[in-house]
Amino acid sequence: MPLKILVTAKRVEDSESKIKVNPAGTGIVLEGLKFKINPFDEIAIEEALRLTAKHGGEVVVVSIGGKEVVEQLRSPALAMGANRAIWVNHVGPMDQLGIAACLQKICEKEKPDLCILGKQAIDDDQGQVGSYLAEALGWSQATFASKEESLESEAEKSKAPAIKLSADGKSVTVVREVDGGLQTIEATLPAVATTELRLNQPRYASLPGIMKAKTKPLEEVTPASLGVDMTPHITVVKMTHPPARKAGIKVADVPALMDKLKNEARAI
Amino acid sequence: MAIDSNSPSFVSQLCFGSILEEQILPYPKMKEAEQETFKNIRSSIEQLLRPHEKDFREWDAKGEMPASFIEELKQFGLFSLLIPESHGGMGLSTTAYSRTLQELARWDGSVAVTVGAHSSIGLRGLLLFGTDEQKARFCPKLATGEMIACFCLTEPGAGSDAASIKTHAVRDGDDWVLNGNKLWITNGGIAQFFTVFAKTGGPGERGSVTAFIVTSDMAGVTTGPHEDKMGLRASNTTTVMFDNVRVPAANVLGEVGKGFKVAMKILNSGRTGLGGGSVGVMKKMLTLATKQAKDRVQFGKPIAEYGLIKQKLGTMVVDCYVTEAAVNLVNHLIDSGHEDYAVEAAITKVFASEAMWRTIDEALQVAGGNGFMREFPYERALRDARINRIFEGTNDILRLFISLTSMNEVGSQLKELASSLKGIFDNPIKGFGVISDYARRRAGLASNLIKRENAVFTKLHPAVQPQQQVFEALTRDLATAVDQVLRKHGKNIIGKQFASRRLADMMIDLFVLAATLSRVSTAVSEKGAASVTRELEILEVFTGQVKRRFQANFAQINENDDELVKSLANHALDLDGYTWDNV
Ligand SMILES: Cc1cc2nc3c(=O)[nH]c(=O)nc-3n(C[C@H](O)[C@H](O)[C@H](O)COP(=O)(O)OP(=O)(O)OC[C@H]3O[C@@H](n4cnc5c(N)ncnc54)[C@H](O)[C@@H]3O)c2cc1C
Repeated sequence: MPLKILVTAKRVEDSESKIKVNPAGTGIVLEGLKFKINPFDEIAIEEALRLTAKHGGEVVVVSIGGKEVVEQLRSPALAMGANRAIWVNHVGPMDQLGIAACLQKICEKEKPDLCILGKQAIDDDQGQVGSYLAEALGWSQATFASKEESLESEAEKSKAPAIKLSADGKSVTVVREVDGGLQTIEATLPAVATTELRLNQPRYASLPGIMKAKTKPLEEVTPASLGVDMTPHITVVKMTHPPARKAGIKVADVPALMDKLKNEARAI
Repeated sequence: MAIDSNSPSFVSQLCFGSILEEQILPYPKMKEAEQETFKNIRSSIEQLLRPHEKDFREWDAKGEMPASFIEELKQFGLFSLLIPESHGGMGLSTTAYSRTLQELARWDGSVAVTVGAHSSIGLRGLLLFGTDEQKARFCPKLATGEMIACFCLTEPGAGSDAASIKTHAVRDGDDWVLNGNKLWITNGGIAQFFTVFAKTGGPGERGSVTAFIVTSDMAGVTTGPHEDKMGLRASNTTTVMFDNVRVPAANVLGEVGKGFKVAMKILNSGRTGLGGGSVGVMKKMLTLATKQAKDRVQFGKPIAEYGLIKQKLGTMVVDCYVTEAAVNLVNHLIDSGHEDYAVEAAITKVFASEAMWRTIDEALQVAGGNGFMREFPYERALRDARINRIFEGTNDILRLFISLTSMNEVGSQLKELASSLKGIFDNPIKGFGVISDYARRRAGLASNLIKRENAVFTKLHPAVQPQQQVFEALTRDLATAVDQVLRKHGKNIIGKQFASRRLADMMIDLFVLAATLSRVSTAVSEKGAASVTRELEILEVFTGQVKRRFQANFAQINENDDELVKSLANHALDLDGYTWDNV
């Protein structure tokens, strides 16, 4: 049974960049930063592509933001192989409720069988959108999708999907990562899944893929056209760097060290 | 920026004291659509190459990269960079291509050269001179990597003197029959597409070279073993032998007898690729060296706090910025259809390969003993970099090429010299063979050729005025120097390599300074002086470096030890080396 899968592609700061909080403490300095796709979303796209490679179907990728997010939609998302993109053009503040509301409206129109999102975005680590979306749609929800096999396994090398579609095509089996182990669940379709790092090793966009992506359909919508009010319910009050590490000290000998560990650090 | 494609070379006009500022201003930017494509390429390349970081070191030690990795490069599409979109390629501009080589080179020199030899020189002849039929026949396969390309010019007896090749082809019916041996051919052992240069004139004739497309399926094409090299060890370098290979006449590239021009044109347009690669390596070295300087503690402080370390890092920053400016500027000249860029492209190759060498050497020094250890990337980078000063024209030959070509026009306008100089500048590299045919004749000329028009910049931002003035003054000095040298030596300038080299160094410095002025001035205009403080500082430091070097070179035109140094060389040559000993 062909599957229609909706995936997300959030633009985030590259973790290799040096992040600095702005002087007002309200956000980070964007100048000179490199951006990339949220790595959890990249894993979501990979899983969707593996599923449609096996079962047929279509992968639609969505991103919300200013015109710069088109960059991540084209590559890697479309360049990896997604079929088409929807860009929700929105400049200005937004929070997870607004984002989930946009995705809900798009799902109501597109009617995918499955939505795959990153379990969180590596910029603000909120981790809420997947659950909000499942709740808003009233769909089953499979968070923290992972797999039993390692990323070095043959199953991974063969690019088999880790999310398994049932024979009747009515549900998916998802292996979830839980504290200290794995849990296998079966979720009725339509469903929302969120990805863990160990779900798969995403492919890279090849140069021919990048060229093909240039002409793949990209539809522009706005929150207004979707009927969504983006007024945030949450505002960021303050951002700070972690406190700088204090300089170490030198101790004269082992007894002095033991004394400090016992009485100052209370480590032993 | 509208550049008249027929406007003369920037540096040749500097020799008259004339600054063609419209060629270099404003400082070019990559087109927005291409920037987007490039950014995508960059992040994909990182995903492709980062997982192989350990392998690169291993393949260097082994002296080979595995076939499976070359397959991965093909799948990724790295052989399609310059092939037009209509033939299944990426159709990158020179600018975006050179920028892509930067990204490859920062990961691994051997990878960059494998891709570079294919695109920059291997298939460039097809793009520049191929017929529509030839392009349709080969481009799609070259784009997928089904065919990897190489460039076959060098022979055991013909390196710098490329016109002296012995490989020859004789017409026989519809075919040419090709015989000969080529040496040190990058990608030789993995190529299916060979751009081959062979003599098609009578025996003993110097000229009459023709370029051919030879494919690996033709009977009689064989390659030798993979060479054991100092650097770029994983890049494939072999001999290529042609034994009665029948090449269809439809595979002649360009015109019969015009092959030397084809070769020079390919090398000229490929040279900025090396500049791109060099910039990539320099950027990587700065990342490594700054980290190393902060991490390493000696005498109770990170070594980054010591003046001599800062001096190295600061100089590396300047070198990297000015090299990037020059390379990017020449790429833009090429992309905008400007024809006369051979000298400027040669300048970027010479300057970039030497700046890269200095930069790696200093980064290695910052790392101390670790820099010497194979576990760290410095020594491999240094070994890989060394060849850049030798291949695609040695820096020595290119220096002669830069000064002789640039002076050509001045020379032809020195009336009394014009007739006797005629021809010798047309092809400076070929000209070396005929030096001795000319008798020295001093030309005492009165007329002054220094041009008055375009003697100053009019479009630079006032924030760079002090450096602009230095540039203008040095340009006047260059014109004076060229005039003096030509009057003094006349046609014998061809044999005056000490003088030519000095002039070349002055031209190289001035062109790179012009590119830097353009880059910084444009940055000030766009962002305001306050946000480009660092770039203004780079300009100030580099202008100071150029001024001091230039003045030293200028002073040595009339006052030097050239004859003494020559006589010492002759002494060593006569006695086969060094003849003193303390014992
Ligand atoms: C790793 C590697 C890859 C290569 N890849 C290719 C390739 O893909 N295709 C290809 O065709 N070739 C290739 N080459 C060959 C390369 O281009 C030549 O080595 C180069 O052109 C120099 O020629 P040569 O080595 O014969 O040196 P020579 O020409 O013998 O020069 C030796 C020295 O003499 C100097 N010299 C020569 N003539 C003069 C003169 N008239 N005045 C002053 N000084 C002079 C030179 O500057 C140099 O310092 C490669 C070489 C190497 C090492």
